[in-house]
Amino acid sequence: MSSTVLEPVVSRVRHGLAPWARICGIAVCALLTLGPVIWTVSTSLRTPADSADLPPEIVPTEPSADAYRAVFDKIDIWLYALNSTLVTALIAIGQMITAGLAGYAFARLDFRFKKPLFALVLATMMVPLQVTIVPVFLELKVLGLTDTLLALIIPAFPTAFGTFLMRQYFLGMPKDLGEAAMIDGAGPWRVFRSVYAPLAAPGLAIVGVLAFNYHWNEFFRPLILETSTENLTLPLGLVSLQGNLGTGSISVVLAGVVLSMIPAVAVFVVGQRPLREGITSAGVNR
Amino acid sequence: MTTTGTRPARPAARTAPKASGHTATARTRGTRLLAALFLAPTVVGIVVFTVVPILGSVVLSLFQWNVIDSPRWAGAANYREILSDSTVLVSFRNTLVFMVLAVALQLLIALTLAITVNGRMPTWLRSVFRSAFFFPLVLSAASISVVMKYLFNEGFGPVNWLLGTVGVAPVSWLTSQSGAMAAVILTYVWQQFGFSFLLFVGGLNNIPREVHEAASLDGATGLRKHLSITLPLLSPTLLVASVVGIINALQVFEQPYVLTAGGPGDSTRTVVMVIYETAFEQLRFGAASATGVLLFVLIMAVTALQFRLSRRYVHYQ
Amino acid sequence: MTDPLLSRRGLVRYGAYSAGAAALGGVAACWDRLTAADIPGRDDGSLVIATLGSAFDSKARRALRDGFQKAHPGIKLRINAVQAYDWSDFFSKILTQIAAGTAPDVVYVATEGVQLFAQRLGVPFDKWVRRDAAELREYFNDVHPSLVESMMYEGSLYQLPVEFNAADMYLNKNRLGRAGADFPAADWTRDEFTDLLRAMKRTSGDGFIPYFWANRLWGGVVPWLFANGTNILTESKAPGGDWLWRTFYPEARHSRGGGYRWTTPAADSDRVAEVYDYLASLVKDGLCTRPEGGDGRNLVGVFSSGRVGATPAGGFWAGGLHLAGMKPADYDVQYFPRWRTRRHQFGAAGYAVLRTSKKQDEAWEFIKYTIRKDTLAELFAANQTTPARRSMVDAARYRKTGPAHWQIFYDTLDKIPETGPIPAPPQVNEVEQLLIKHTGTALASAGAVRPALRRLQGDLEKAMEREL
Repeated sequence: MSSTVLEPVVSRVRHGLAPWARICGIAVCALLTLGPVIWTVSTSLRTPADSADLPPEIVPTEPSADAYRAVFDKIDIWLYALNSTLVTALIAIGQMITAGLAGYAFARLDFRFKKPLFALVLATMMVPLQVTIVPVFLELKVLGLTDTLLALIIPAFPTAFGTFLMRQYFLGMPKDLGEAAMIDGAGPWRVFRSVYAPLAAPGLAIVGVLAFNYHWNEFFRPLILETSTENLTLPLGLVSLQGNLGTGSISVVLAGVVLSMIPAVAVFVVGQRPLREGITSAGVNR
Repeated sequence: MTTTGTRPARPAARTAPKASGHTATARTRGTRLLAALFLAPTVVGIVVFTVVPILGSVVLSLFQWNVIDSPRWAGAANYREILSDSTVLVSFRNTLVFMVLAVALQLLIALTLAITVNGRMPTWLRSVFRSAFFFPLVLSAASISVVMKYLFNEGFGPVNWLLGTVGVAPVSWLTSQSGAMAAVILTYVWQQFGFSFLLFVGGLNNIPREVHEAASLDGATGLRKHLSITLPLLSPTLLVASVVGIINALQVFEQPYVLTAGGPGDSTRTVVMVIYETAFEQLRFGAASATGVLLFVLIMAVTALQFRLSRRYVHYQ
Repeated sequence: MTDPLLSRRGLVRYGAYSAGAAALGGVAACWDRLTAADIPGRDDGSLVIATLGSAFDSKARRALRDGFQKAHPGIKLRINAVQAYDWSDFFSKILTQIAAGTAPDVVYVATEGVQLFAQRLGVPFDKWVRRDAAELREYFNDVHPSLVESMMYEGSLYQLPVEFNAADMYLNKNRLGRAGADFPAADWTRDEFTDLLRAMKRTSGDGFIPYFWANRLWGGVVPWLFANGTNILTESKAPGGDWLWRTFYPEARHSRGGGYRWTTPAADSDRVAEVYDYLASLVKDGLCTRPEGGDGRNLVGVFSSGRVGATPAGGFWAGGLHLAGMKPADYDVQYFPRWRTRRHQFGAAGYAVLRTSKKQDEAWEFIKYTIRKDTLAELFAANQTTPARRSMVDAARYRKTGPAHWQIFYDTLDKIPETGPIPAPPQVNEVEQLLIKHTGTALASAGAVRPALRRLQGDLEKAMEREL
């Protein structure tokens, strides 16, 4: 192909804009997107008296870690972090299992009521948490789980979006692989275990990362379901930093936000690739 | 589920045409058993923690219950009450307005950025941009709304300062009716658009390069090319993005709750906020459940409508 | 081609195995954490206290627990910091716990919830107060009767006040100086206040708002309503309570009753409209922004950085401003400006005992422990509230944080006897929500005051009729 010669021309025609203008425009968008995050980090490093400065001092001239020290001083952040980690990790693993299995069943197995069951699973996405929280609370009481971390974990195992993602993911794998194995005499379990399951890791990673993301930041369920101070997760524990009648220092509040952000960002950095690839596959309907 | 016999073993026969009839039945049985096992965790979980609670909510919507005393039968009284309550009605209107504007803005921004990022640029730069646009999604909606409340402050917020540098008069973001809705929408879209963005990036990558090149050689340029070629090919992705976007938008809670507390007046009060306030602040769990049931019906209706429309407008490759 | 594929598969498989093993190991190791079995004092008959999480930090809670344990080694104690955005969130969470049968024994309750709890859930303290009168005399001598009366309901006492906050006026002294204005006199008027705002506005540049306030029940519109001698609900006193006044406040017995009653809505009265018209005129002249709904989280930051000249707040702000880096010389506090009256509003808090509790006598011992001076001194060291005990509001307490006129905090009660609690009937959550909502509308645009107040009145009538 003569594309080496044609490429710049084609590209300009394609976009109607000089590449540098396009890149500049998109860089501005990226800056706007990250702006609030940058402001949060920089304000947490300044004193509250400087917090409202305009223009905001993005790089603090006298950065101070006082706010971070205050966070460790005021709340049991290690305990809350442990709780959050336990809850989030177990939900992520649980969702990977349930979504992997159910997604495979919906994608590659034939059984009765498949369509209505799948519709039922998807329909749960439409149910606001606030509608079901009271009955769920009463159920957990029957199960003897109120005010335990398990009360947050177990009800979160089924995941509609995760199941949907994994179904898409399995549908995206070549069908002949399984058929070939079947011709060789493999049963449905063997087909799953030795043909498809090993290929599912990237898809499962997305489910895991998404679950982590969502549940790490979850506020409403723990707010209603956890009573004891020892069972608080990070987002709830941070509320204490706001102080009596909102008198807490804004720097301290934001320092708490930044600290709680770190694990989510770490997971984001590590899981970004599979995440991107996985969300990609979800958009392609089959 | 595994008791079969009369039903023809159709699917198995198709997938393994060379297998004998006997093994096909065994395989069907095996398949169904496996399906049952695989589905059990999800389905049992959903039944216990979603279906039963929904039914519970429907039952509760027929009672008056303040948590402290035992429930009293109310029949349709809760429904009559909320349908004549202007706050509830306004909240449905707000939610629909929010949904339309937020989803439209979210899709528009995401699509534009996805197409632009997909253009020619150094790979490292592309991944920097992708990460930037996705980043807000990893933050907690509640925390970020606290931050946004500072940023949108009318007198001292950086947003108005930034607008001021380009000559725009201060906007009453949180204290005027339209400003408050705009602030809530912007905060929400800012956090959510990254998800649609990634969906679109994926969708665009799946469009064969030759299609673009053929179109370019045929003389299609810029916007026209995207309208006539990219969009139709992207329509399945658009469907997923809008379905997920709408379902999420109809349940918006944290952003208005923290930013504006539903005000000024009722101008940013959403249905889920009303459900929360009715139940947990006014202790009218029956009326709250009734509102929840109505919202659920609305979400179902909107989604069904979308799928119906999608039959006409979505093109599969 | 097969080799790398195999090794990758192998990798995936071993990865999955080890992840599974790690997960199982983690679950086993943390099983007690997951089931909360590791929490000391859980389900072992401990006395359970629920406090609002943002009110006391973990150090203060530990101090409270350890101190009580030392004084009463026989009573096991657990303190739960319940997390919530504000008081109504907090109450709803307690009610959910009651519904689930996991209710605490003792709950920290502010004025906002006094009647809500008293009416349906609380235990009156009358018999214990009578029994332990001698022991309690020192406490009541140190606490203003207005605070005590605000915790009575229909003749019975349901809480002992621990802290309170009245809405006084905080002023930024740098802004005052720049405006060339003197510090206002104690009996300054509303018009003097307006003039001061104008002077500050004239002498300050962009990005400065003379007066800033949060749209909420405590410290929002209500201080102005009180100053103008009105309220959104008609206020009266319940009969009774004489038993308490006779014993502890003989000089006050004729002016006191059995607690407040807030009944008929009066939001469409002329006096109320006057207040809203005044606030609307401040907004129009750029002397104050339209009020934001919510918890006032913005306030400390903007006031301490000098972007706001004046705002209503109570003793709790001294600690907040100190934390924000404000020097005692940079700000001061004065009474709220006088209008038709000098009446100020306050909110107070203390512990209530729940009727469902099986350990009510132990709970009473805890209550008595919480009002001890040494307990309160430890709990309120950071000046994030005003102690209910007069003797604790002293120069030493405010030396580090300021303000110079710290006496105002308690004098708002002592010198202005008509000062009273914010209106908080049992339907308080709905009342608060309606007030915030319609205040927002009333000030959101010109000419909106009267229609908004008419709707506030109508909605309040509906809310007050509703049986809880």
